[in-house]
Order: sequence, then structure tokens, then C-alpha cells
Amino acid sequence: MSSREPRWYCHECSADMMPIMAPHPICSSCHGDFVEKMENPADDPREFAHPDHGDLDLPPALGALLMAFQGMSERGNSSRSRRRPDNDAGSRITFSILNDDHHRTISIGGPNTLGRSNPEGEGRVPTMSEYLRRDAPTPPTIAGPLMAQYIMALLGHDDPILTRRLSGDFQGAEAGGMGDYVFSQEALDRIITHIMENSNANRPVPASDEVINNLPRDVLLEGSDILEKDCAICKEQFSLQTDDPDELMVVTLPCKHIFHEPCIMPWLKSSGTCPVCRHALVPQPGDPSTSNGNARPGSSSNRHSHSRSRSPGSNSSSQPGLLHAFFGGFGRTNDSSSRHNPDPDPPRSSADRNGRRFPGSWEEGLD
Amino acid sequence: MASISSRRLAKELTEIKLEGCPVGIKLVKADDLETWWFTIEVMGDSLYQGEAFTLQFRFDSSYPISAPAVQFVVTDGRQAPIHPHVYSNGHICASILGNEWSPVLSVVAVCVTLQSMLGSCKKKERPVDNDRYVRHAPENPKKTRFHYDDDTV
Repeated sequence: MSSREPRWYCHECSADMMPIMAPHPICSSCHGDFVEKMENPADDPREFAHPDHGDLDLPPALGALLMAFQGMSERGNSSRSRRRPDNDAGSRITFSILNDDHHRTISIGGPNTLGRSNPEGEGRVPTMSEYLRRDAPTPPTIAGPLMAQYIMALLGHDDPILTRRLSGDFQGAEAGGMGDYVFSQEALDRIITHIMENSNANRPVPASDEVINNLPRDVLLEGSDILEKDCAICKEQFSLQTDDPDELMVVTLPCKHIFHEPCIMPWLKSSGTCPVCRHALVPQPGDPSTSNGNARPGSSSNRHSHSRSRSPGSNSSSQPGLLHAFFGGFGRTNDSSSRHNPDPDPPRSSADRNGRRFPGSWEEGLD
Repeated sequence: MASISSRRLAKELTEIKLEGCPVGIKLVKADDLETWWFTIEVMGDSLYQGEAFTLQFRFDSSYPISAPAVQFVVTDGRQAPIHPHVYSNGHICASILGNEWSPVLSVVAVCVTLQSMLGSCKKKERPVDNDRYVRHAPENPKKTRFHYDDDTV
């Protein structure tokens, strides 16, 4: 991931993560929507969780408790392989939680119950959902090192302080939290898909209000030669006979293409380019010709769109369909290569009398 | 007053009905100004000889400022063509339907471009990431931002 990419923080996981835009950002690991984009380093949401970033002192009791959890969880792991489980029978902490009508007992420490059958039938470790079920007749309990691991996971995933204190890792937040990991193929797929689908790399850049406001506007008048032309967006001929007075106002782009004002405005607000020749009014991604404010329609200066284009036929010699797309569909032909054109009568009603081509780059592939 | 979108679509539909579609393209249905179906066949020598595909266009009120949602129909025994830019769910990765859409393009222009995309295909195969994409693809292909990284097909 690029370091310029904004970081996101999930307040539910208390962890950094890559959000899924669906379309509003949600956490990729818990799917919660209490997420925050970390744009301003001076306002880092992680600071709320750990107001004393520079000061690693914990209250003595909490520190000791965390150390105890860590010790138990480590002992739990190792006891499976070599220790006699009975060795763990020492420290044991028991919580009781009153939950509606049920008492729930959580024991931390004590004998390792993991994977051992046990006279009271408590050998099987309940799953989290079993554990959380409210109506269980005999509420399951989690005991032993497993509980310590649960708690370590809950506490540790968000906690650079803990990480630093207990593992000596002073990189803290850089080491990443739970939200930086995925736990299933499906989640990984989702994230990859998300990344692939949300690249901003080649999205058109809208024209700024300033650029839009400075475009020359004309009111259509009797006898104007504009009246012989068509607006390429609505495909209607410019006319004085219109119900909509706004359609008497036309806008001329720097490339000299003319449009009804109500037709071109919404387009420029989504893409600052000429719909006909793709002349860029504002710098567009990957466009080397943007700095040349005078790109002519049909010139080859829009090479970028050729190389980026997935348009078929851009490198092939005989594309009757493509010619249709450019000439048949738009009703014009002034190109000798129209010999490919199977349409016996290509010029249609909305012929463009300026001999312009659309889009500038594609013609390169036609000959 | 009718919106720009419905006026423009009505005009395109009138022209299609009046002048017909280019060779190999047929209007199947256009009962309203929201969903149109076409069949397309690739004319001449191609890997898709004898095959016909159904193409669905969906328009919203932002047409033609934003592209229609275009995909191959894959229900009722219809199949999407096997092509490196066409997913098995009918979604199409073509720049003109995304970043390179222009309001100057039209329904017929899109049909013809896709027809020619099939016509220039050298090898019938699905996109490499087909399974992964199809598993999580949004219903509307316009919600997908494809990378147009290959201009050789």
C-alpha cells in the first residue's frame, strides 16, 4: 500500500484497517461503520485510546494483571507440548458477571482444560457463540489459559503499549493491529477486489468552478452559424425554437467544440474534458498533453488514451465495427478508410461539418 | 419538460427504428427508456462464428453524461461470450463503459465497439480473475472500476 494512501481506523476494532467502500466506509474486519479516516496526524484517533503515547507507565495493578495474562497464555501454549498440565494449577482468577438472569463465571488461570476430558464434563471448550448465548441452561464456562488468550487477543489487538511492554517491540503501532490481518480467503478476496475496484488512478478529474465559469458563453442569435451545428451531447441541432431558454445559451470549449450550456455543464463537473475530442480543460490522469493548452481536436496528442484504452481494434487493421462506432453512429465520414464500412450510407443526420474526429486518439488504429 | 436523458434516448430509439442497426446488431426490446436489449453477432471470420449474444443496456437519468450499465445477459440459457474482457456473469471490462465514456458515444456506438471487441479476439478465454471477480461482483457493473491495462485485444 502506498504510504500516501490515507490510513483508516476502526473504533470498534480499535485498529488500523483498510475500509471497504460499500459505498460508505465500513471496517474490513468487523464490518462496523464506526470508522475514521486518519488524515490529520495531529488528530490521530489512536491517541484517544492511549492518551499518553510517550509515557508507557501503566497503573501498577493493571500492569501486573496484564503480565499475569501473558504468563498464563504462554504457559497454556507450552503446557500442551511438554508440561504436565497439573503444573498450571496455581494462579486462578475468577470473575462473576451478572447478566440478566444468568450468572456467568469466568475463570482465568487454573488447570489447563484445553483438550482434556474432565469429570464435570467441562472438557470441551465452548465456542464464542455458545458462550454468549443467553438461554443456555447451564452457561458454559471458559477457563484456563484459553481464557487468558481470549483476553490477550481482546486487549492486545489494539494496544501498542501492551505490545511494547510485553514483547519489547517498540515499533508499536507500526506492528499493526488485528484490523491489518484477514482470517479467511473470503476476506482476503474481498479486500483484493476492493483495492482493484477502487483505484483512483485513471478516473477523470472534474473541471473546477473557476475553469467552468471562465468558459466563453454565447446566446444563440438569428443568423448565427452555430445554428447549423449539432450539440454532440443531446445530438440535437442548435435552434432558436426551444421550450427551454437555457438552451439558447451555448458554451465553447477551448478546442472550439460548442455545446448547449445545460448539456455540457453536468459533464464538465464529472470530467474536465471535451466530450468530442477529449481536450483536457484541467490536468487529467496520465495525460502528457494537458500542459499543452492548445491540443487540437483530432490531433494525436491524446496518445495516452490510446495506450490506456481497452478499446478493441486500436491496433488492428480492419475494424468495420469501429468505424461504425465513430462514423456510423455519429453520422460522419471523411476518412478514406471508410472502405471498411459495410454501411452503404454512413452519413447520418447529425453530421459533423467540422471534420472533427472522435476521439482524437482512436484514429491512429484505423490505418 | 422531458429530461436530457429521456429526450436523448427517445431520439436514439427513433433513429434505430427508422434506420435500423448496423449489420449483426438487432434491437430485441426497448419497452421503456430504462432497459434495452440487443443481440449481437460477429460478422465475418471470427472465433464467435454462429454465436449470438444478448446485450443489456440500463440507463438512468444521468445518461448520457454517465455511461449506461452494459452487460451480456446470462439468464435463460443465454451465455456471455468467452473473451478475456468478459466475465462469466456478463460484466464487461471495456474502458469506454468506464473512464473513457463520453456523452458523444451512443447505444449503437457501444454495440458496435463491443461487436468489434469480439471480432478482434485471438483466443477464447475468460479473464484471469474471473472466479474471484464473479464471486464478489456488484449487481451493477458500473459499480466496478476496472483497470484497463491491456490494449492488445
